[in-house]
Amino acid sequence: MILLFVITIPIIMFMFSFLIRKNLMALGFASTIALIFEFVNVLIISLYVVRFGNYVFNKYFVIDSIGAIMLVLVSLVGMAASCYSIGYLKKEVEKENVPFNKIWKYFALLQLFVLAMILAIITTNPILMWISIEATTLSTAFLISFYNKSSAIESAWKYLIINSVGLLIGFLGTLLFLYPATQNGFGFISWDMLAINALTFNPAILKIAFVLVLVGFGTKVGFVPMHTWLPDAHSKAPAPISGLLSGVLLNVAFLAILRFKNVADASIGKEFSNSLLIFFGILSIVVASFIIFIQKNYKRMLAYSSIEHMGIAALGFGLGGSGVFAALLHMIYHSLSKSILFLSSGNIFLKYESTKIKNIKGVVHSLPVTAILFIIGFLSITGIPPFGIFFTEFSILSVGIGTHPFVIILALFSLVLVFAGFLTHVSSMMFGENENSKEVGKENVWTILPIFILVVILIILSFYLPSDLLSLLQSAGIGY
Amino acid sequence: MLYLTPQFLFFIETILFISVIFMHLNKKNLTIIFLYAFQSLIISGVLFYSAFKEDSLLLVVVALMTFLVKVLIAPYFFLNLIRKNRLNFSVTSYLNSPLTLLVLSFLTAMSYSHFFKPLTVLSPLNENALLLALGMIFISIFLIINRKGVLSQMIGILSMENAIVSFSFIAGLEATAGLQMGILFDILVWVIIAIVFASMIYKFFGSLDTSELRQLKEK
Repeated sequence: MILLFVITIPIIMFMFSFLIRKNLMALGFASTIALIFEFVNVLIISLYVVRFGNYVFNKYFVIDSIGAIMLVLVSLVGMAASCYSIGYLKKEVEKENVPFNKIWKYFALLQLFVLAMILAIITTNPILMWISIEATTLSTAFLISFYNKSSAIESAWKYLIINSVGLLIGFLGTLLFLYPATQNGFGFISWDMLAINALTFNPAILKIAFVLVLVGFGTKVGFVPMHTWLPDAHSKAPAPISGLLSGVLLNVAFLAILRFKNVADASIGKEFSNSLLIFFGILSIVVASFIIFIQKNYKRMLAYSSIEHMGIAALGFGLGGSGVFAALLHMIYHSLSKSILFLSSGNIFLKYESTKIKNIKGVVHSLPVTAILFIIGFLSITGIPPFGIFFTEFSILSVGIGTHPFVIILALFSLVLVFAGFLTHVSSMMFGENENSKEVGKENVWTILPIFILVVILIILSFYLPSDLLSLLQSAGIGY
Repeated sequence: MLYLTPQFLFFIETILFISVIFMHLNKKNLTIIFLYAFQSLIISGVLFYSAFKEDSLLLVVVALMTFLVKVLIAPYFFLNLIRKNRLNFSVTSYLNSPLTLLVLSFLTAMSYSHFFKPLTVLSPLNENALLLALGMIFISIFLIINRKGVLSQMIGILSMENAIVSFSFIAGLEATAGLQMGILFDILVWVIIAIVFASMIYKFFGSLDTSELRQLKEK
């Protein structure tokens, strides 16, 4: 019953957005309250999963441990993004950067985006998952082009085309995975059914299918070399949408790969999928680190950082063992840290009206609270202790040092490069001073509060993992 | 019930394959739309056959919807886009025709290579048709890459989807009717969104040539 609420809340809010389209504050509050309600429901479901195992709604929708973790992240970041949007859009409307009549569409599409991600997580059917992930592309295309500028339209087009090609490749892989089931007339096909019948798969076909799935859904995750849409889309979208795209959508697409990996591993062993994940992981880390180092645009820098972190997670899953637990935890820390960074970058953008690093100076003077939050995000994302990412990266690298020393040394070098790049760019933005420096401005509570909440959660989780979360992570890691 | 022999299936697949080759060689937007509609008509026919063979009313509805979306609605939207923006002029590509043909030959040969040979297990009797469908997927992707026009890129994606449908039909990998409806709905929404974006690109850039889209280049 609770899952019915989780599915229907975004649908109701989607329709309700049209009714209250003339009041920005009402739209923002209604959207946020809906997502708070969503978050509470998701928490209840997650607690159920911890206590009693999978939450079975019907044969089409089941929530397992990894699904519960992803659902919590989607609703938490969605809630923060929606709350942040109130202050962010109010300011953009005041500056006439965004026409008022587009606001209701923003909140309506935001709800559709959240719904599509939720459906992708909870569905038991691979094709329904594909449809839901394709729906995330369709619902976000207009959000990316929200500013209605030529560069935003261009990035949205690139996003639409590259992701559509990627997802069609993934679709072909999905169909190949269903081969034994369709031959044996299983009817409705679920992940469990595929895993149980994994031994009936033809290994050669399964290998081709997994490569197609990895390339296809990997395009959405942002693995190099299929990543080219990601920096453009994430940098041109409004800050709260960038936070959602980077913070949770990448995880949802990664979940699709993990579900297929589970089936493939049951049939052909883990070596094949693990070596592919290690390959795409290290390639993404290395390429992203060099680009971060020479980056001139802070939103693009954050986008490339997402590519790097998805690479680290892929490396963790590829190395296996305790690397899987670390990779899952890494995805949680990355979601929180990246949302903090994108939302605070939105405050910087509102103040400076530029995304170029050279145009941003003295943020600690002009936006002191935002600066502190941004620096916390920076320290966390670059893996500085005591933040959780330090421990997850350390765990992943230590798992692989014995078996893949070259890969680990390459990853370590890249992480140092990322830190050096971030440090240079962030210190220039935060502390530098020139003619572009701005006066101290009053910071809007709506654009600070959601970031602050995420920071508090990040700090708490860096020092203390609740036993329920720990148990979810442990059971989610089984099988990978 | 009429049985589709491997020879007949290969013949159908060859027509589909040739339609994409013509998409590559043809320079008129109108012809490309016509080729897509023709390709979709064959796909709808195949789905109707499948529906009658299975004696399933739901599959008949899916085939009918496929016909409506791919043969009528999508081409109608594309024609409107051409009419509205006066885009009857020739489409452009990155490679010239001889080079394009060379790449197409390579991609077709690749689909018949030992790398994809294991896929023939899916339908040993229709080995040639299956690999030709795979070749059609590859050359549809190449259409998206090689063409500069927004319209050609859209048709390339839809043609790729048609190629996957034909591949799954030959391999016997069709999804249930409900899921096929979901996929079709996704395609319809995709077409509408892509058309809206194409209009926006024309409004902002004064052209539907993607090589004119240079706003994202780092300064």
